[in-house]
Amino acid sequence: MRPKVIWASFVADFKSFFRSKATLFWTLLFPVMLILMFGAIFSGIGETEYELVVIDFDNSDMSQTFINILDDTPIIKTEVKEIDDNHILQYIKDNNIKRLILIPQGFEQSVAMATIDEDAVANISFYFDQSEQQSNSIIRSVISSVVTNINMNISGGKDIIKINDVETITGEFGFIDFFLPGMIGFTIMQTCIYGSLERNTKFKKDGILRKLLTTPITRSEWFFSKMFFQLILSFLSAALIIVIGIVVYGININVNIWMILIIIGTNFLFTGMGMVISRFVKDEDSAGMAGGVVTFPMMFLAGTFFALEQMPEFLQIVARFLPLFYVNEGLRASMIYLKTDDAIFYTAIVLIFAVFFFASGLVLTKWKED
Amino acid sequence: MITKKVQCPKCGQIFTASGKPGNIVRTTCPSCSLTGQVIFEKVISSEISGKDFAIEVINLRKEYGSLVAVNNISFSVRKGEVFAFLGPNGAGKTTTVEMMESIRQPTAGAIKILGKDISTSFSEVKEKIGVLPQEFHSFERLTVRETLEFFSNLFKKRANIDEIIKAMDLKDKENTLYMNLSGGLKQRVGVAISLVNDPEIVFLDEPTTGLDPKARREVWEVISSLRNKGKTVFLTTHYMEEAEYLADCIIIIHKGNIIAQGSLNELINEYGQGHILHIKNCKTPDAVDVLRDNGFNANKEHNGDIAIKINYKERVLEVLSILSHEAVDYDSIDIRRSNLEEVFLQLTGAHLSEEG
Repeated sequence: MRPKVIWASFVADFKSFFRSKATLFWTLLFPVMLILMFGAIFSGIGETEYELVVIDFDNSDMSQTFINILDDTPIIKTEVKEIDDNHILQYIKDNNIKRLILIPQGFEQSVAMATIDEDAVANISFYFDQSEQQSNSIIRSVISSVVTNINMNISGGKDIIKINDVETITGEFGFIDFFLPGMIGFTIMQTCIYGSLERNTKFKKDGILRKLLTTPITRSEWFFSKMFFQLILSFLSAALIIVIGIVVYGININVNIWMILIIIGTNFLFTGMGMVISRFVKDEDSAGMAGGVVTFPMMFLAGTFFALEQMPEFLQIVARFLPLFYVNEGLRASMIYLKTDDAIFYTAIVLIFAVFFFASGLVLTKWKED
Repeated sequence: MITKKVQCPKCGQIFTASGKPGNIVRTTCPSCSLTGQVIFEKVISSEISGKDFAIEVINLRKEYGSLVAVNNISFSVRKGEVFAFLGPNGAGKTTTVEMMESIRQPTAGAIKILGKDISTSFSEVKEKIGVLPQEFHSFERLTVRETLEFFSNLFKKRANIDEIIKAMDLKDKENTLYMNLSGGLKQRVGVAISLVNDPEIVFLDEPTTGLDPKARREVWEVISSLRNKGKTVFLTTHYMEEAEYLADCIIIIHKGNIIAQGSLNELINEYGQGHILHIKNCKTPDAVDVLRDNGFNANKEHNGDIAIKINYKERVLEVLSILSHEAVDYDSIDIRRSNLEEVFLQLTGAHLSEEG
């Protein structure tokens, strides 16, 4: 292999890529837009009304008044729940509750006591998921102002009702932690499959592959240069997504060897898959459709946007046949959850898929005409 | 004298015919008595391999299942000449040229380029040839200069890009993206790409298909300039004017078979009708009879003109003398030579343009 030839091909790809506004958009900006959009939807940014679960052990006029005042605010929508015991943290965890107000038994009495006793206070507890910082800080400030108003009305300013903040651990990782690695996997899948399809259908139609056959460039030089470019592009795209994750959502991301191996494997996997698809399509249009047929189900079924647990059981089985599922899970295990065993397992699966698809692609891709 | 196996197109009988290289021999099928021509190509054996030949094609055959796309054709191309491979669409031109460029695998036969058998030495040959494939479109978002530099970097031997840009008259467009070029300019860039390694042979597969007449002319000028630089040009085309304008040697291919080969003059002399003298808007009713009485092959055409077949240019003066002597009244006269269209018509019974 001649480095000069590979470099020439890489430079040609690089220039072509950055001169195509559409490719730039779909490869770099679109994933960022998706992250911001989905992040806003699922992390609570942009919500106009927040659900607040209320457990009222007091069941008094005072507690009901407090709940009504909260409900009257334009931001909070209360949902009163009843539980039998005092295992509040277990209840929060089991029901995946992001925020909850607990009004203890004797609350009304405590309020009455506090009006005459200088040292007495009536406590309520605000349980919140620390991974939902932005939305919870909004609700916390609304609750505070409601309490301040009540205190003002009852006693002219003395802190009769007091809020105790309790952090919960139901959401050790928020939606964005789940979504961001999926977005990296999804973006690499898209660029590799469609890049491969373009090279093998458009370049074939345009006679570029026939032209290359008559020049001294070898197939290995050509493929190596394309993979080199594709890898650079994938790492660039992943870096951009990670930066957005850190800057906008403040998530902790761990860059390690498993993540890098998965990204490399993903490149070979989906480039190979693109080569296999292009062997069975006639032209660019049908290549685009065939690409969509493959990428669309994977996008929704492989746990990119939604956790597998939220899907019906049979779809969870289907997901385990999709290579993108292992890419997403591997990236999450290595980058976010720091589960090394899982990361190694998923990396191995991704690399096996990569070898299979890339080898199949090489075998099926014909430069020569019949 | 050599012997060639021939298959009768009517009854399928295989029999032998003899002739010298370059001869066209009439022969009769011993089974059904059908009479036809057998061409003995100028190069029929790999032994006739000379330093003067840039390309030698020997008994080349390509089959797709039961379809024979190229039927045991042989020919050779001399160094420094523009060689046109002329035929209608589907005749086997591109299949042949792509086998010569090692893009397709022949079913049988041999191809030598610059004396090298391409089945074993094509990687060596690649450095010495330039190729413009049929319907070629380069990378859309590279400029003309970047495109030439990219392809240039693939070769060991590299021509001066500035000189190519200048020679191809692309200086004004060197920083224009390929996608923003007109069709004619794209083809000019395609030819320029085929020159980046300063090749000895340039293969141009239908370089002007789809271009308007002006753009086609521009490409013709570029191809002419290649001949002036001493390059051998192998040109496939279905435009007879292109072959007439550019080629030193022409092969006409039809349904996978070579049906004629030679220079333009040779082909027209062999298969054409010589010269036709047209008397425009003749107002004398018995002019045709007068000319026929004087031994001329004269015919009245649909538009009222008279067409006279002239075998020797000296007979033009005789015609003019008769017209003057008999006081034939007409507007004007012109003389037109036979063209390749008529040659093709003579050989196949069909018009080249209709076949395409």
